[in-house]
Amino acid sequence: MTEVVMRQTPPILHGPSEKERKYDRQLRLWAASGQAALESANILLVNSGAGTVGIETLKNLVLPGIGRFAIYDEAVVEEADLGVNFFIDESGLGKPRSQCVTELILELNPEGESTLEALLATSPIFTIIVFTYPARAEHTSLLQEYSKQHKTPLVAIHSAGFYSYFQIQLPGAFPIVDTHPEETATTDIRLLTPWPELSEFAKELTKDIDNLDNHEHGHLPFVAILLHYLEQWRETHSGSNPSTYKEKIEFRRLVQGATRTNNPEGGEENFEEAVAAVLKTVTAPSLPSGLREVFEYKHSDPNEQMSGFWIIADAVKTFYAKHKCLPLPGSVPDMKAQSKVYIQLQNIYKKKARQDAAEVLKTAQEIAPDRDIDAAEVELFCKNAAFVKLINATGGTGDRDTSNTDRLKTVIAQELENDENAEVTMTPLSLLPIYLALQATGRVASASADEILAEVAKTVPEASQNERIRNAAQEVARAEGGELHNISALTGGMVAQEMIKIITKQYIPIDNTCIFDGISSRCQVVRL
Amino acid sequence: MLKIWSMKKEQQKAENAEGAAGGGKKKKVTAAQLRVQKDLSELSLGSTMKTEFPDPDDILNFVLYIEPDEGMYRGGRFSFTFNITPNFPHEPPKVQCREKIYHPNIDLEGKVCLNILREDWKPVLNLNAVIVGLQFLFLEPNASDPLNKEAAEDLRLNREGFKRNVRTAMNGGSVKGQSFEKVLK
Amino acid sequence: MASADVHPASEPARCVFLFRRHLDRIRTRAGPFTDPDSFSGEAVAGAMETMKILVIGAGGLGCELLKNLALSGFKDIHVIDMDTIDISNLNRQFLFRQSDVGSFKAEVAAKFVEKRVKGVKITPHNCRIQDFDEDFYMQFQLVVCGLDSIEARRWINATLVNMVNEDVEDSYKPLIDGGTEGFKGQARVILPTVTSCIECQLDMHAPRAAVPLCTLASIPRQPEHCIEWAHVIAWDQEKPFPSLDKDDPEHITWLYQKALLRAHEFNIPGVTYSLTQGVVKNIIPAIAATNSVIAAACCNEVFKIASNCAPFLGYPDNNYMMYSGNDSIYTYTFKHEKKDDCPVCGNLARKLDVDPTWTLRELVESFAVRPEAQLKKPSIRAQFKTLYMQSPASLEEQTRPNLDKTLTELGLTDGEEIGVTDPAFATVSFKFKLKFKQSD
Repeated sequence: MTEVVMRQTPPILHGPSEKERKYDRQLRLWAASGQAALESANILLVNSGAGTVGIETLKNLVLPGIGRFAIYDEAVVEEADLGVNFFIDESGLGKPRSQCVTELILELNPEGESTLEALLATSPIFTIIVFTYPARAEHTSLLQEYSKQHKTPLVAIHSAGFYSYFQIQLPGAFPIVDTHPEETATTDIRLLTPWPELSEFAKELTKDIDNLDNHEHGHLPFVAILLHYLEQWRETHSGSNPSTYKEKIEFRRLVQGATRTNNPEGGEENFEEAVAAVLKTVTAPSLPSGLREVFEYKHSDPNEQMSGFWIIADAVKTFYAKHKCLPLPGSVPDMKAQSKVYIQLQNIYKKKARQDAAEVLKTAQEIAPDRDIDAAEVELFCKNAAFVKLINATGGTGDRDTSNTDRLKTVIAQELENDENAEVTMTPLSLLPIYLALQATGRVASASADEILAEVAKTVPEASQNERIRNAAQEVARAEGGELHNISALTGGMVAQEMIKIITKQYIPIDNTCIFDGISSRCQVVRL
Repeated sequence: MLKIWSMKKEQQKAENAEGAAGGGKKKKVTAAQLRVQKDLSELSLGSTMKTEFPDPDDILNFVLYIEPDEGMYRGGRFSFTFNITPNFPHEPPKVQCREKIYHPNIDLEGKVCLNILREDWKPVLNLNAVIVGLQFLFLEPNASDPLNKEAAEDLRLNREGFKRNVRTAMNGGSVKGQSFEKVLK
Repeated sequence: MASADVHPASEPARCVFLFRRHLDRIRTRAGPFTDPDSFSGEAVAGAMETMKILVIGAGGLGCELLKNLALSGFKDIHVIDMDTIDISNLNRQFLFRQSDVGSFKAEVAAKFVEKRVKGVKITPHNCRIQDFDEDFYMQFQLVVCGLDSIEARRWINATLVNMVNEDVEDSYKPLIDGGTEGFKGQARVILPTVTSCIECQLDMHAPRAAVPLCTLASIPRQPEHCIEWAHVIAWDQEKPFPSLDKDDPEHITWLYQKALLRAHEFNIPGVTYSLTQGVVKNIIPAIAATNSVIAAACCNEVFKIASNCAPFLGYPDNNYMMYSGNDSIYTYTFKHEKKDDCPVCGNLARKLDVDPTWTLRELVESFAVRPEAQLKKPSIRAQFKTLYMQSPASLEEQTRPNLDKTLTELGLTDGEEIGVTDPAFATVSFKFKLKFKQSD
């Protein structure tokens, strides 16, 4: 048998290419599409201070194959750099730090511009810009301006002593389709809204269910089992499905009772699967919150609305309004069944998914007749519709010079209030004091604890009465702007992860500030 | 120097506990070995089974003999090698049938399809559970999800014919073109 | 300043002071969270420089660990790794270049870091951790692990726990362990016998779900089923090569071809070379960024434990940090409780005074009257010797002659450990460390 197949269709065998082998461990995370996005990205690092956190970030982007990078750094390498930065060696003493680091990271030529302004003006558009604190006010405003003009995401990092934080400023709402949800969360098999083909298939398998031999009975796929007993349920419940928790438990008992136990195994795996799936899969379709946010999003920028994502989102919204359910994702979980039956079932779901995607594509083309809608993009959207996520939906800015101080004050008040009850609610204490203390040294590397407290008091007047803010201020003062390599490496790892997520548009980036405490070894993400 | 020392002393004071005997470079009993020792000392084999240890000092490798006294495989003598890895009990023991036999759940290479030897293994299970499972395979061969498809179909479609084929195979004859090992005593 | 005391005022000392400027600001001065009782700012630099640190694994985490430790003020670092460099390491193991493929990881990594960070000595060991005994591990003050194997972790954990001698301060070796998978990872601190150990925490590693053999053999449905079939069943039947080498592309190609044919037979889509490799080798996705996070989290704990300049993970509170970067960033730092019935740290050997001229029978009978547990039917083993087993029958028969031999005749030595089990104590087993009475 196998030999015949071999002669008829010799398998196409191409081992992996050199590049696929090198990047194997990451291609399993973000696939060729993510890799292509990384390779076409162009990063700018505006470095300052001890300079380690920026360089560690860059290292973690160069390794997976970022397309291009530039470093702007006004520092000249000195002895202290050698003790904290791995990508500087003795031969670099006295040379521009950007040049030394670039050579050791990539043996590439550094961008030769002498001012940040010139660099921004002459370089190809940057995909993302990272800058580190302490930063000069004129630099941050230049970067803000650039970010606004080119819609370039901006990442600010500050690492000092045991503390760090970073903040991502996205140029508007940032939708992600390929969010990589946990596999267990993705089952969508439409038991309460089966389409004719699925119903018929299940009916055919179960029409004589009580007279099937043990072998066949024990290999009915659980989807067919549940569809069969739902049908039976409706007959005795005036046509309605089990909907309350109590009804579902009752329904589960019905399925459990139908299990054969007088066979050699004393039970049936497929019925066990069916019983276990009741609570999770016998549910009416609903609109997940992430997608609802997308549907209800009000565009402030009319150009934004005409991007592929938003046109498809609109088409999916139309689909949902019409069918009261999302396009079918089309995947079927593995379940006990004969190979042939399972493959048939799989094909029924796949076919329906293709039909749904085709309908969405057609609607999208009607919405934007003069645009070329990518069918693959539509398919991906339909497959992931339930997990689509919108980041930065309220379009906040992360610029701390002109930031919405009122909002910051509200968040701080809330966080400090939560801390009062932390012991009772068993929640970890807020890390905002760390953010405040670091932020207070955003322009000058070193300051005394009192100076830091005075600066924090501009936002939080009662700062010096708060023990946690006082401690954070002391801890930041202790560092005198010095970086601990470990904290910077750790922060550089987190920032690189976030940048990869933004560049590949896969997984879900933070919204929008992440604070790390190296003393208690934990972090907190908060929207500021 | 390292704070752990004072922490240990504090902890001991709090618990008023008797500490560990001094360490030092001496032969230590590993967790896997101790667990196998425990499992073995709790084994209840009955009259149809016995073990054989080629090297009594190596309890991680042994042979189990099963001589069913009822069912279709009555009168046969079957042996299984047990190989227990240092990762036991986090990994199930590796069990293989040494004879080539006609059985829906044991393939011609001696692989055994028993859920607790693979997908349903849990560290709380012990060697006794495995042995009971193996014994059960001879009392109630399971045609539903076979390792030896031909044997399973035979059992499913023609139970009496299957029984005859089992006897033939156990006697060293051939069934469906396959010759088997004589396992009748 | 502190470093000036350690390095008298000479030219290099000035450099060292500058070199360590960032580090010294933190480690030589107490902060608001520093425990003043265990902290000494003057002594810290010198103490750290003389500490010996062992790094296990020179892979994705290992490269980062070596870099981080070298830049944290440690000067005497050893690294163990038996592996050689593969091209698929280059996307994250930044101490290796294309031209290093095939060389030993430990060696290349050590050389690279030594060259880059002046004054740091890194000693590579291109071998397995099991090749060393306790004498070797005793020389280190701290052990840091960047491993991908649970088995190796359990081995080093059991070794370090077993080395604890309550009378010897230096026998307590903190173990700091990191692990990653994709965008996720964890860092944990184990203080042997004080905190929960790796064995206590085994439930944190979910084992890979296995597919029933019968599914592979008769009702495959997924591409993985076809690949596992080729791997577990077809390979054994056909034995195309003497033994399976999962790193040999020829072997993987054979399995891929087999899996593909089976998939065709059942109309199952999705078998690829990459999936074959992933399933057969159980490949865990890995990226530089996550390694950077986890290795640095580990080294941060090492730094705090060694310097006492800030509280560290471990007794009495949190000892475990979980990190997840799939959906935003989430860390969960908590206390994993020590397990009283842990087979490694919950069951330490007790001293047992014995006379080496006793017969084994006398030893067996002595257990019946020991106060902590009156063992009526004890079975006894040493590491490489089955002394006496009450069951199963064949083993009882084989070991019965031992009962009349003396402990010395049985080859037992002073300080050796024995394991004792008894069916009356279903949930516990006992370990004793023999202490021979001096025959004077």
